[in-house]
Amino acid sequence: MPVRVRRSPLAKPDRPYLALGLEGSANKLGAGIIKHDVDGSSTVLSNVRHTYITPPGEGFLPRDTAQHHREWALNVIKDAVQKSGVSMQELDCICFTKGPGMGAPLQSVALVARTLSLLFNKPLVGVNHCVGHIEMGREITGAQNPVVLYVSGGNTQVIAYSRQCYRIFGETLDIAVGNCLDRFARVINLSNDPSPGYNIEQEAKKGTQLLPLPYATKGMDVSLSGVLTSTEALTMDKRFRSDGQPKGPDDKDFFTPADLCFSLQETVFAMLVEITERAMAHIGSKEVLIVGGVGSNERLQEMMGIMARERGGQVFATDERFCIDNGIMIAQAGLLSFRMGYTTPLSRTTCTQRFRTDEVHVAWRA
Amino acid sequence: MALALTLIAQGAEAKVYRARLHADRAAQDVLLKHRFHKQYRHASLDASLTRSRVAGEARALIKCLRSGVSVPGIRMVDAPNGLLAIEWIQGSSVRFLLGSSDEPLDEPVDGDLPVSDQPQEHQHPLEPYGVSQDALMVLIGVEIAKMHLADVIHGDLTTSNMMLRLPSSSPSTSRLVLIDFGLAYTSSLVEDKAVDLYVLERAFASTHPDSEPLFTSVLNAYQTRMGKQWHAVARRLDEVRLRGRKRSMVG
Amino acid sequence: METFTYTHFPAQSSVVHIALFTSVGNAKDIRARIVKASTLGGPEGDAERGAVNFAFIDARLVTSRLHLQTAVYQAILSEAQGSLRTKTVHSEILWALNPSNNISEAIRRYGVSDSSSALLVVRIGSPDLKDVESLMRAIVDGTLSPLADLAALTDWSTVKKYYKLNGEPAIKEVAQDPEREREIVDNIIVSSVAMKSVQA
Repeated sequence: MPVRVRRSPLAKPDRPYLALGLEGSANKLGAGIIKHDVDGSSTVLSNVRHTYITPPGEGFLPRDTAQHHREWALNVIKDAVQKSGVSMQELDCICFTKGPGMGAPLQSVALVARTLSLLFNKPLVGVNHCVGHIEMGREITGAQNPVVLYVSGGNTQVIAYSRQCYRIFGETLDIAVGNCLDRFARVINLSNDPSPGYNIEQEAKKGTQLLPLPYATKGMDVSLSGVLTSTEALTMDKRFRSDGQPKGPDDKDFFTPADLCFSLQETVFAMLVEITERAMAHIGSKEVLIVGGVGSNERLQEMMGIMARERGGQVFATDERFCIDNGIMIAQAGLLSFRMGYTTPLSRTTCTQRFRTDEVHVAWRA
Repeated sequence: MALALTLIAQGAEAKVYRARLHADRAAQDVLLKHRFHKQYRHASLDASLTRSRVAGEARALIKCLRSGVSVPGIRMVDAPNGLLAIEWIQGSSVRFLLGSSDEPLDEPVDGDLPVSDQPQEHQHPLEPYGVSQDALMVLIGVEIAKMHLADVIHGDLTTSNMMLRLPSSSPSTSRLVLIDFGLAYTSSLVEDKAVDLYVLERAFASTHPDSEPLFTSVLNAYQTRMGKQWHAVARRLDEVRLRGRKRSMVG
Repeated sequence: METFTYTHFPAQSSVVHIALFTSVGNAKDIRARIVKASTLGGPEGDAERGAVNFAFIDARLVTSRLHLQTAVYQAILSEAQGSLRTKTVHSEILWALNPSNNISEAIRRYGVSDSSSALLVVRIGSPDLKDVESLMRAIVDGTLSPLADLAALTDWSTVKKYYKLNGEPAIKEVAQDPEREREIVDNIIVSSVAMKSVQA
């Protein structure tokens, strides 16, 4: 029987390679330095992050977020370089997030990247934020060819690799899952520290009843805005006790913020696991990798794990160091394409708010 | 569940059996679809979802049946247990009849990938059906048009979800049968119809070599049957092709 | 009379007896006995209810053997799941046959009427129930006929009217071909009965 062997197009490094990654597409500013060694291994030399945290009930606005990034850029980068034990001169390239994300914060960080590039005479590599998440997830977990669920404040996608492209199998038709959770956190006035999603998760652990919410999967896609609207509407219901306490000894028929967080998570996560499973069945994969900020949610990981085990497979997830936006993932994806001979000339180091995962040529994979 | 069961397929959502519902020598086999319990889902959410999906599939089928779209008849519904039995169709999938390129839609693994032996040149699989390839494309276009005229959107049109009946079984009934309405819904929107067609076009392209003339025949037949509704769908289909199924999103 | 066994249903509803009676001469009496049995008290009432414990179905409205079997199957299913919409599994068959949710309409249309001349008689019971045919003959004055005779009895235009099929594209398409039309009507009606528990 003829067998077609396809080798990875990425040759082993002839010497150690070093890359600095800069990320600032949303409210996290990150810088990290990665090393790809001659034996094929990767080492995270440093991974520093600073998050712009807004008061409870408020989201982050582009202008203020960009200002935060500008104020913190030097500190964060200095810290990353110091912790890595290497100097700027030793770097092979500087990688930055080209998109997708919020315009103003992206531009602030790109400006920093350009400046460093000119100062130290280092080539730039523009990186797709989503591809950064995927490559870092693969590197950390060792998952070979997983179906990827990418869930964050701005993105909700089910992705599978095919012919040098991360193809989007399914995605949200309206708002992202992180956005959905964050907005509900604001409605019930949860703290944004460390993140609204984390606080929703803690609150949901105390929830006991599942309230019926719309469940909207459409083929491989999901729609989340209706679920959010319905959950918000339930906070106006006369059975809702915002303090979580019954009105008196006879108050039996009521529900709490914790119940709503629980119901929202159970419903939304079930939708995500379902479309992920559909993609796995479609391409015949048994591995699933969860990336993005919402990927650090333990209930989502647990549900995904149950599904994967039922299919005789397993789930890969990373902790908040790599799940939540960070610089090191930009360094990882950027260095992979740098090693394939790709750099971004200065004139093309613009940012783009819209940059689909499937627009990237994944040259480094077979 | 039923009297006699043979498991024939297991998908992400359901197990599919060939079964016999009635202990009657005159009884015909049915296809029994069992949407099983999903452990990862909260039990009450799972129960209500299963029920509503069985109901949704049955409703799409009855709507098609009344509108003259060739789909399997319904034989039994047990929504609380996630069961739906439909008429057994004796025949083959269009995917098989067109001789799919036999490559999986997407390469499943990096690295080594065995390539299956070339299919041997016996007779063409369409031969026993007495239908030419082009006539088959016309049948497909007509059935999809009838379905869209009834405002039913299939949601998962692929050549695997269409079957051709063998001539011996039930000679007078329509030959091409649309199956698997698990993702179907009702909509009169041009957008939904265009996306339905686009999904099929993609499926043709990824499953069958030289699919372009085939799909053109499908569309021609569809156009004729749709009548004045065609123009709006055609225009939208061009748009959908340009942008792909997905819209561009802000990160 | 034909008997079908459903081993996967609870024993008390696992055996189905179906008989077709033609040239029925006492439809009016049967209907009167059913009405009376429902109000009669004491042991006499129990005995009478036992004697009429069948589904009596107007055979003109049944399009095929599968049509009736499907209604019977769904009725047993409802009983097994404790979700009967009517009082008994036998009246549930009539409910399943009728397109609307109106119980009295179902009985009026599909049950025995004073003018019925062909009746399908159904008894759902346990395997212990013996000699059901005699029990049927004891109440119905008519000719026991093979179920295959059903085909000649069907009143297609009333069936189409009840199911509002006349305007449907599926029927219009085959207006020139009565045989094909019957096939299609039967398939739609069998399907409608099968999915009645979830109809929109």
